[in-house]
Amino acid sequence: MTAAIRRFFDHDLWWSFSRSPLTVGAALVTLAFLLAALLAPWVAPHDPFDPASLDLLDAFTPPVWTERGDPRFLLGTDDQGRCVLSTIVWGSRISLLVGFAAVLLSAALGVALGVSAGYLGGAYEAVVMRLADVQLTIPGILVALTINGVARTLVPRELQEAAAIWVLVLAIGISDWPKYARLARGTTLVEKSKEYVAAARVIGLHPLRIMVRHLLPNVMGPVLVIGTIGLALAIISEATLSFLGVGVPPTTPSLGTLIRIGNDFLFSGEWWITLFPSLALVLLVLAVNLLGDWLRDAFNPKLR
Amino acid sequence: MSAPPLVAVEGLARRFDVSRPWLARLLTREPRRWLQAVAGVDFAIPRGTTMALVGESGCGKSTVARMLVGLLQPSAGRILFDGSPLDPRAGRKALAPVRRRMQMIFQDPYASLDPRWRVADIVAEPLDAFGLVASRAERRERVAELLRAVGLSPADGSKYPHEFSGGQRQRISIARALASRPDFLVCDEPTSALDVSVQAQILNLMKDLQERLGLTYLLISHNLAVVSLMADRVGVMYLGRIVELAPAEELFTRPRHPYTRLLLDTVPDLELRRRERVPVAGEVPSPIDPPAGCAFHPRCPWANGRCRAERPEPLPVGAARVACHAVEEGRLLA
Repeated sequence: MTAAIRRFFDHDLWWSFSRSPLTVGAALVTLAFLLAALLAPWVAPHDPFDPASLDLLDAFTPPVWTERGDPRFLLGTDDQGRCVLSTIVWGSRISLLVGFAAVLLSAALGVALGVSAGYLGGAYEAVVMRLADVQLTIPGILVALTINGVARTLVPRELQEAAAIWVLVLAIGISDWPKYARLARGTTLVEKSKEYVAAARVIGLHPLRIMVRHLLPNVMGPVLVIGTIGLALAIISEATLSFLGVGVPPTTPSLGTLIRIGNDFLFSGEWWITLFPSLALVLLVLAVNLLGDWLRDAFNPKLR
Repeated sequence: MSAPPLVAVEGLARRFDVSRPWLARLLTREPRRWLQAVAGVDFAIPRGTTMALVGESGCGKSTVARMLVGLLQPSAGRILFDGSPLDPRAGRKALAPVRRRMQMIFQDPYASLDPRWRVADIVAEPLDAFGLVASRAERRERVAELLRAVGLSPADGSKYPHEFSGGQRQRISIARALASRPDFLVCDEPTSALDVSVQAQILNLMKDLQERLGLTYLLISHNLAVVSLMADRVGVMYLGRIVELAPAEELFTRPRHPYTRLLLDTVPDLELRRRERVPVAGEVPSPIDPPAGCAFHPRCPWANGRCRAERPEPLPVGAARVACHAVEEGRLLA
């Protein structure tokens, strides 16, 4: 165990990580968001989803450092008297949840299709990859909107609020798979020609077993890198859909929903309702993106 | 050769489709193009012996190896293993008993071991695949035994391939090939990626194992020194065909086919005691568009009209089998 820890700190990856202050900063910010999201019930000063604790008289309180600020609400409150800081913490939780789940879905879908297409080849590969090409010609957000709309009409009305998050995950996940499929197929083509795959075929292993046990682990490295960058994009997609009003409902707001709600009050002077969720979104996406960029460079032997 | 051969190959051929895509072909009215990698190859390997296939790169020797172990399907001809023909189109389950008995050692020890697997799992892969071990303890014991057999320590099983040198990796590769207790090993250039000092160690290991386990080898190599050390019989391949097949000493002391002579002449001879060297120029022609007649005639100093028109059939000459008009007619006497 101690040897494993020592190896970790001896590793090139750790070296390149600790040498880049930007990356360390990005990692800290991401970690902070993750912790806040995970521990939201204990971190957030208020529970913004509990109607009993809300008081409409607190509505539109500006941030604490302004003239009419209230020490109970650090970043002010929104139109329903919800603490903006708390909604950001809870909102990040939903944004991150949707982001992770969507990346997981699209990566699983894309890697499964990409690896099998690369390994099996032939007509199956042609169909899968042309499908990916076709979907790439349509803007992702449009695909997500379409899937979202179709899924919503299929979900019964009384379940819509509860299912909203999973409909979003489905929409973003499906809109993003071609990227993973292309990457997985390319990496599979490289790995497939290596002799360890031939050795497995000489033994007569089932193609499925070769794909799962040999190709998959060797394809996951690059996928992890793209997945990190994909997480940032998925969070933005979620925010966009929620901003457009087709995402999560206002009762359980994500960062995108918060920005949209705040937008309604921007012209009446209550700038803090939209500004702080926006800043949180920018910070989160930037941090995750920087981490992804660093991972990509660190894994690229040509840049080392 | 009284005992029936373990492996025999009859009229083995393989061609590859190298045509341009369908649409491009349709537009340019170009016919399909085929690359004849292997054509009409016959040989038999007696149990417990080593047969080598030598030739320049692109002569089809690796294709023969890959067909034998089932990585490629033959376009024509058949493979007999232990007397019964191998049906490459048979199902995975039906082929398993034969697959267990034939394994392969690969050229590049840096690519032939999955970098994400521990050595013990790599070596045990055939054991798991063929269901040869009943318990984890038995598996561990068998892996330790295999690692010891190739000169590694059982403790190496918990390491990853990148922690080993090229020679050690090739030992792991051999241990994996031996795991299912095969009778027949196809060795595709097993030492050409290794340092010269390590090559000898691996070759000695292979000879030891052959003696101890009664293995039969098919050795693919372009290195004549390796071949002369290892092989009992040697087949010289040129453009997909065996042009000369002879016992090893015979081939090295009395090469008959002009191409075999060319190959042996290219081996540096420190004492300069060999006969006068015949300069042979030129390169291997394209197997997509092979020359008519004898494929070697554009480079052969003894070629005549017949060589350019008629393909020579392999004919017995002494203990050898040679496909050459000049040898048959006695035009060429060494």
